[in-house]
Amino acid sequence: MKLAAELDGQDHEVIVRTEEHAVFARIDGRAYELQINSAAHGEYLLLAGNEVHNCRVENSAQRPGLLVVHVGTRRYEINVTDPRRLNRSAGAGVHHHGSAEIVASMPGKVVRVLVEIGSQVEAGAGIVVVEAMKMQNEMKAPKGGVVVSINLEAGATVNAGDVLAVIE
Amino acid sequence: MFRKILIANRGEIAVRIIRACRDLDVSPVALYSEADADALHVRMADEAVCVGPPASVESYLNIEAVIAAARKTGAEAIHPGYGFLAENADFARAVEAASIQFIGPSANVMQVMGSKTSARRAAVAAGVPVVPGTVAPLQSFAEAQQVAERYGYPVMLKASAGGGGKGMRLVDSAAELQSAFDTAQSEASAAFGDSELYLEKAVERPRHIEIQVFADAHGNVVHLGERECSIQRRHQKVIEECPSPINDPDLRARMGEAAVLIARSVGYLGAGTVEFLVADATREFYFLEMNTRLQVEHPVTELVTGFDLVREQITVAAGAPLSFTQAEVRWSGHAIECRVYAEDPDNNFFPSPGIISFLQAPAGPGIRDDAGVRSGSEVSIHYDPLISKLAAWGSTRVEAIDRLRRALDEYQIDGIRTTLPFFRRIVRDDEFIAGQLDTGFIARFQDRAWNRAHPGAHQVAEQSSPDETRQRDLALIAAGLHYTRQSKAISLCDAAAPETASGWRLSGRFARLDSRSTLAKSSPTAVPETE
Repeated sequence: MKLAAELDGQDHEVIVRTEEHAVFARIDGRAYELQINSAAHGEYLLLAGNEVHNCRVENSAQRPGLLVVHVGTRRYEINVTDPRRLNRSAGAGVHHHGSAEIVASMPGKVVRVLVEIGSQVEAGAGIVVVEAMKMQNEMKAPKGGVVVSINLEAGATVNAGDVLAVIE
Repeated sequence: MFRKILIANRGEIAVRIIRACRDLDVSPVALYSEADADALHVRMADEAVCVGPPASVESYLNIEAVIAAARKTGAEAIHPGYGFLAENADFARAVEAASIQFIGPSANVMQVMGSKTSARRAAVAAGVPVVPGTVAPLQSFAEAQQVAERYGYPVMLKASAGGGGKGMRLVDSAAELQSAFDTAQSEASAAFGDSELYLEKAVERPRHIEIQVFADAHGNVVHLGERECSIQRRHQKVIEECPSPINDPDLRARMGEAAVLIARSVGYLGAGTVEFLVADATREFYFLEMNTRLQVEHPVTELVTGFDLVREQITVAAGAPLSFTQAEVRWSGHAIECRVYAEDPDNNFFPSPGIISFLQAPAGPGIRDDAGVRSGSEVSIHYDPLISKLAAWGSTRVEAIDRLRRALDEYQIDGIRTTLPFFRRIVRDDEFIAGQLDTGFIARFQDRAWNRAHPGAHQVAEQSSPDETRQRDLALIAAGLHYTRQSKAISLCDAAAPETASGWRLSGRFARLDSRSTLAKSSPTAVPETE
């Protein structure tokens, strides 16, 4: 299966094929043959020869579609897409047709809305301020554009994953 | 001895106190807010009473509800833990009035030591050195200017009711005084409802060292040595150790005597901590404040002295004499504790609440983990994000660091971000390993990390090592496997009624589907070769 994966802003081609306990993989042309000793509840115990790689994969609670992978003490955020199923491309962030959603990363309360519908914003501009755990966090525009929707007002309670605003 | 104790707290400290109750065969009663109905401390208690909605002012800080819960369950004593009502004299008074034993000092002592200015007066009266500064609260900005000139800059502005770094400002020069005065005052008023400030001479490269004291109702007052708490972020302790890397028995004895003197002079009862600033160069020490409660970092003292401070708190509150004398206190080896917070160290320590999807705590020689959560627990937005305290003991500081590093690497907490990665870097830092600690450590540590991540033009940018590429590739493979499984699981459910199959049979089936699709969709050359 040929997949596209994004990690730290870099795109990678990921090909994985399993055969019983063997995994054949190719990452940007680098070939790996691994043994898979366990695969339960998102835990993948992989062996490259004798080398143990204890991997854990979970779906990000904050950003739907994003996979969080732990390899030992390292943590990676990976967005995997199947080029043949573009409609299933992972949700949050920048969309292909040019709109971007600002998604609450944690539950909290909206303290201030800094823009209005129709405002022109630069990438990185503050859009809303959300308070959680007694700290205020400014949610920033992931790209420049026009604010086309604001889905809440000051004082509203938001849950992780809620779309707060959309920029086009 | 009490038969039943109510624990007016939550999280890891409630769990810690429940354990001491179990050791003493005392029945523990838990309190919980609506947000904590299934929390770990509730699961571990014999009885649990809901004291209100999630907001702590309406639940854990609700004095009437807490006392009503003690009455309802017939608890004979209340342990306040730390934070919440632990240093609230009104609460201690209300508990006394309800004829319930408060596990801690009397309300009057709490009141004297609770205000930084009256605590300073008590220290001065006991003959203990204090940082040169005002004993009475500042009356005006003009007075602040005068005093600052007299001691010389840098000076420190502090809120009388302060704590946790709020209302605290370091002022380097006269030009900064006005704005620092205004912010400290408004912060103090917002945080504590009290804008009273005082001013101290700032100690250069100060170490923050505290002495654990213990007093019983029979006139015995002892100290259990020091804890080094210099590693602080925004004036909050992050890593604590016992003994201090200074490890000077003479200094320990002098500071211990000073702390005992203060505790004795105010008629202290139970566990308390006297905080000092120690000038790194001269080893002069100054009284800072006294905390009239158990400290978050008590485990390092327990590991090095072998005494159980919470057990001792309970027995002393029940009227028993201390189980040891000053001469019996011995310090063996070295202990270091990390406070594991649900905060994202890669995003300016922003809180990271959520469900802990997976948790595996480290174990093995010399390791102690005091956690308030388990796999499946929710870290709520309503409370302090401290989820666990990981402590390591070794016969030397080097061995303690080795064990701590191993345990930090072993610790797995998924679903939320934690400060574990931050600690993994600190225990590998040369300055930390060398024990060069003062309150500026974190700032310097972060500068070093930043310089490594952003090498200047004269330096060669680090190439990602082959090992690193390999690890990233492994992560991508795991992600690919997971993605494939998830999408297969969805299409399998769509296609046919689910069969009762083991994970392995399912994965075998995926494998067949996989190889079929590879054969159908790809040319033979696209099949990955073996390495």
